[in-house]
Amino acid sequence: MSFHLGYGTNGFANHRLDDALRMIAELGYTSVALTLDHHHLDPFAADVAKETDRVAALLSVLGLRCVVETGARYLLDPARKHHPTLVSDHIDVRIDFLHRAIRIADGLGADCVSFWSGIKPSDVDDATAHQRMLGGVARVLEEADRRGVRIGLEPEPGMYVQHLTQALALRDELGNPELLGITLDVGHCVAVEPENAADCVRRAAGLLVNVQLDDMRPGVHEHLEFGEGELDLPGTLAALAEVGYTGVAAVELPRHSHAAPDVARRAIAALEAAMPVTDSEWVDEVDHPWLVDAERRVRSEPAAIRSLFPAVGRKVGRSAMRPENDPQGLIHGTVDDLARIRLLAALADVLPPDELVGEVTELYRYGDDAERRGVLRGLTSLPAPAVKAGLELVQDALRTNDIRLVAAALGPFAGEHLDQHSWRHGVLKCLFVGVPLAAVAAVERRTDAELLRMIADYADERRAAGREVPADAVRLLENS
Amino acid sequence: MRIFDPHIHMTSRTTDDYEAMFAAGVRAIVEPAFWLGQPRTGVESFKDYFDALIGWERFRAAQFGIRHHCTIALNPKEANDPRCTPVLDILPRYLAKDGVVAVGEVGYDSMTPEEDDAFARQLAMAVEHELPALVHTPHRDKLAGTHRTLDVVRESGIAPEFVAVDHLNEVTVRTVKESGCWMGFSIYPDTKMDEDRMVVILKEYGTDKVLVNSAADWGRSDPLKTYKTARQMLEAGFTEADVDKVLWQNPVDFYGQSGRLVLDELPGFAPSTETFAGNSVLRGGRQ
Repeated sequence: MSFHLGYGTNGFANHRLDDALRMIAELGYTSVALTLDHHHLDPFAADVAKETDRVAALLSVLGLRCVVETGARYLLDPARKHHPTLVSDHIDVRIDFLHRAIRIADGLGADCVSFWSGIKPSDVDDATAHQRMLGGVARVLEEADRRGVRIGLEPEPGMYVQHLTQALALRDELGNPELLGITLDVGHCVAVEPENAADCVRRAAGLLVNVQLDDMRPGVHEHLEFGEGELDLPGTLAALAEVGYTGVAAVELPRHSHAAPDVARRAIAALEAAMPVTDSEWVDEVDHPWLVDAERRVRSEPAAIRSLFPAVGRKVGRSAMRPENDPQGLIHGTVDDLARIRLLAALADVLPPDELVGEVTELYRYGDDAERRGVLRGLTSLPAPAVKAGLELVQDALRTNDIRLVAAALGPFAGEHLDQHSWRHGVLKCLFVGVPLAAVAAVERRTDAELLRMIADYADERRAAGREVPADAVRLLENS
Repeated sequence: MRIFDPHIHMTSRTTDDYEAMFAAGVRAIVEPAFWLGQPRTGVESFKDYFDALIGWERFRAAQFGIRHHCTIALNPKEANDPRCTPVLDILPRYLAKDGVVAVGEVGYDSMTPEEDDAFARQLAMAVEHELPALVHTPHRDKLAGTHRTLDVVRESGIAPEFVAVDHLNEVTVRTVKESGCWMGFSIYPDTKMDEDRMVVILKEYGTDKVLVNSAADWGRSDPLKTYKTARQMLEAGFTEADVDKVLWQNPVDFYGQSGRLVLDELPGFAPSTETFAGNSVLRGGRQ
């Protein structure tokens, strides 16, 4: 993967920060966009330095890359949303806040601090706003220079700097400072840019320091889940890969905190399904017209999945997603896995939960090895009432000796729902049969003393027999 | 030499067999669903057996560098047990599977009315699923059984080139050749055919539409009989191209009519014994 899929903590506003970070990591994201707020690493707290170190350690344990976001609504002024800004009165308050954010980003080892201009107040003329913006950004850059932290200016619909063109012009006017980059929200591109998100990505290319992912409809600044608007998600992600972007690309759904875990789960399923890999042939295969047509058929006639599901491999291919380092698709799955995940997601959209459980169970029961793998990898896109049935399928797969089934069974679904005893035995089974632990979700979070004891005993047994101890086992024991 | 064994029951074989087969050049096999030696008493046993054929055995073969496919059917012997005949109702679900390249083994064991019914119904399923059919001919009363088999095939409307009639010998080969069906020969240590007799048949009837298999199973049998027949063909003056036709191209052509054969090398197994840049290390790791 060329860039790091993440989720914004402003979409987990009703969670404690630590809980939010753990959930984000557990769902399979590898980065986070951390919005500093009164309850999430408060930059005005007396112990902010200590707290920054603590969060940095947690991010490291969870393996999350990070960017710092500064769009909190009522952090600086409890009465006025987003106030003050870089183009309003009391600009010093905003600059002081951005300086604090830069110091926190430095402490966290974050990629950048992201910021916007603010809405131009009605009593401020263009010339004044322009001067304030130029002066303000210059002052923010002073602290960025001192700390060596990049800052990313985000064009925001309705604000003084709302188009990519304006942000690029402003940077130009400031003499193209090295540390000033661009934060691009791909949903905003749909809403207000003259060109599509993929083309905006190409235009900002080398200057991108942060990307926000969400869907939108043209002309409407409303952050939507993928598929609800008009964003071409695969095309946009492909453009990011194409321009060589390697930073954070985090989901930005600040108005979905009330259902954050489910929304975030759906988002990563959509992202993974749309994610490009370096092999361009694969992209062609996944957007195979057969698959698009099959999804449509499942939506209009759910029972069609019974004949479509077994045919997937013949139609879209069976190769590993990243054959260069995962030839059997144990870690990243295969092209047909991905296609089946999409068919299951389509099925979950149209069937009521009880019927869905029955159908998915039958698909697994009558499935060959590849179909069973597809069901196991697709369990995360099913609604909560399907969890019990899903766990039974995971348990069935863990009883087999087919390493591809075992690997598929221990993905994010098991990481979240499988009981600790079964999960430990699943991990140990991986070590036994040669499934890399990279295929297992939530290893950091769920590894406990009992698992380490089991692995240590296993390692002793191997040594006693004069056999090599699997590298994954050694690593887990050393890191504990 | 590359070998495709078009009929072998790996469920009953060991990993030593897989290793020996790979070493002899076997890269692809078809495992027909058949009787297990011990009669089954219900549909659920068949489901587990079919699941193993489309999943577990395919995985096991892949561990040894061999592409595994199967055929699915209610076999003629167990078609006589009313506890087993409901298997016919679950077959369509399995016939849709990726690794299923034919309906089989169907045909006759004792030539009962029950076998007539199961045979005809399953040939109809082959037509409906656009799959070839692998037809077993009886051990007892073989010539009469073969004639009756060909009558049922004709009546079913399935194209003869979609049918392989198996376990043939000197007595039954001519009538099958005249029917236009494929001719299968099982080479066994001491029953059915042996390598020498096989070569004589090839000389007389040619290599077109001939399938040579080991049919190795739980009884006394030898999974390397395909390889041994190939050696015998070369000894007798057949060319490498003839051998490749009988032991690779013919099974590929017959089962390839399903559109479901997968024959590219498995990850971790070198495509051949040739070296790459002077290095013969296998690609990737083998877990």
